[in-house]
Amino acid sequence: MAASPPDARALRVRGLSCRFGGVKAVSNVDLDVAGGERRAILGPNGAGKTTLFNLLFGEIFPSAGQVEVFGQDVTLIPARKRIKLGLTRTYQTSRLFPLLSVAENIYVAVLGAEGGHLRPLRLHRDDEFRARAQGIASRVGLSDRLDIVVGSLSHGEQRQLEVALALAGKPRIMMLDEPAAGLSPAERGSLTDLLLSLDPAVTLLVVEHDMDVALRVAQRVTVMHEGRVVAEGTPAEIRGNQLVHDLYLGRPRGSAEEPHARR
Amino acid sequence: MKLTRVSSWLLVKRVAIAGILVVVLLVPQLFSTFFASSIGVQSLVLGIAAASIIFLNAVVGMVSLAQTALYGVAAYTTAKLAVDLGVDPWLAALVAVGVTVVVALLFGAVASRSEGIYFLMITLASAVITYYFFSQVTAFGSHEGINGVTPPALLGKPFVDPTGMYYGALISSVLIYLLVRYLRRTPFGYALQGVRDESIRMRALGFNVPLLRTAAFAVGAFIAAIGGVLLVWYNSSISPGTIDLTRTIDLLTIAVIGGLGRLEGAWLGALLFTVIQTYSPRYTDRFETLIGLVFLAVVLTSPGGIAGIAGSLDRWVQRRLAGRTA
Repeated sequence: MAASPPDARALRVRGLSCRFGGVKAVSNVDLDVAGGERRAILGPNGAGKTTLFNLLFGEIFPSAGQVEVFGQDVTLIPARKRIKLGLTRTYQTSRLFPLLSVAENIYVAVLGAEGGHLRPLRLHRDDEFRARAQGIASRVGLSDRLDIVVGSLSHGEQRQLEVALALAGKPRIMMLDEPAAGLSPAERGSLTDLLLSLDPAVTLLVVEHDMDVALRVAQRVTVMHEGRVVAEGTPAEIRGNQLVHDLYLGRPRGSAEEPHARR
Repeated sequence: MKLTRVSSWLLVKRVAIAGILVVVLLVPQLFSTFFASSIGVQSLVLGIAAASIIFLNAVVGMVSLAQTALYGVAAYTTAKLAVDLGVDPWLAALVAVGVTVVVALLFGAVASRSEGIYFLMITLASAVITYYFFSQVTAFGSHEGINGVTPPALLGKPFVDPTGMYYGALISSVLIYLLVRYLRRTPFGYALQGVRDESIRMRALGFNVPLLRTAAFAVGAFIAAIGGVLLVWYNSSISPGTIDLTRTIDLLTIAVIGGLGRLEGAWLGALLFTVIQTYSPRYTDRFETLIGLVFLAVVLTSPGGIAGIAGSLDRWVQRRLAGRTA
């Protein structure tokens, strides 16, 4: 383990825990994600997936444990500085700028990554930023919606824009929180294609309920339940895992083994 | 066919706006000294102060109750420097604007980590602190305030001939309007609009949200400070009564009547407020009731204020014209 070069591992998490009062939302989680790996995080509602994301992104700080990104301890680095480390994320419920246009939304995201946003003068690099925003819009299939105000986009288009904002930060690690939430089957298909078309050097962490999206995109899958990691493996292994089946589909009444010990 | 009807409406609209602008431009020539001074100058100055509230709300999504206090800081600083220390009025004004921006950076740094009602309450606290500071400190005349401020010679004597003062306030208003319009299209302006819409996302995108809020608050204070300087030149005095809680609420009322979403609403609201305040005593002594009724009427018909009513009227006419020939 210690022999691997620091950069081969994009993410190294040890003993990560987070308490909200008496609730342990995330409990003693270890996680290793290699650079360029596509990792899905599965688990029923309340398993702690989103809290784990918030911890990894520094939006909340853990009560115990450590997070390393490309070998650097980032446990207590605040969220706004994580983009400099190559970390970007999306949200389960879209967090967009509804009064701005699609192009302006992505432009703001580019500005955030590039800094200099306190400058009250137009930047000489403005054209370059806007061109970059357009390029990203076409990658997520929004190039014909550039001037539309985001508040009037369809839900599916808003989800595409979520991914666009994460792409704008030139990510090395992209964290997508349920990108397929509320999408139609056709939209799921194009989202899956988009995720499969990403630069293979980018590490991808996807929280997803939709097995078709998650298991097609992921190389490895981590399953969480009640704040803990309960299984990890390839999509094929996870498909065949009895515990995972029980978690998602329930068990026959009276079966011997309790997959999750309740107090 | 459809096009000509709609485009002729656009022409009518343009002519109307041009007509209004010509009248605004010629107020000192067209109207009495009293009107140009009491209505003209007063509503422009109040409009500038209200514009600082609307800028903060429309661009950054912060409703501030500290703007009256901040324009008080500028007015007091101008008066103190000019009357007690004999400083040149222009220099006094420049220093006053600078002092106000620095005070706003302090207030803003405290308030900028909160949003919504909490931000409002912290700015209210700043307003009350400022009021008590000026009403207690004898160096600023405590309850008396400071009298005998004279505007620069260029602006003349506002009550004898308001022409200079009127154009001074008009040019300031136009420059502030253009400044905010320009700012919205800069990286800074886009960052502020991002903070308005979704501050958590902005943080994730790498923006320093409290810093942006503080900077925006300073810009708002800069606008309010120009209003404060003009105010003290116009009134030739400043006292705590000009920045108390009643005036704070008056200014918020002006901003809401005018329309919190659009900058031009500031001057529309200020004009309506000033007209009612100036002429209502001839008919009734219940000014507060009257302005309260106007406030209710505007808020109930249009959340966007007078500016919002004008906007929806325009869209309604356009729809009607387009629909009838279709």
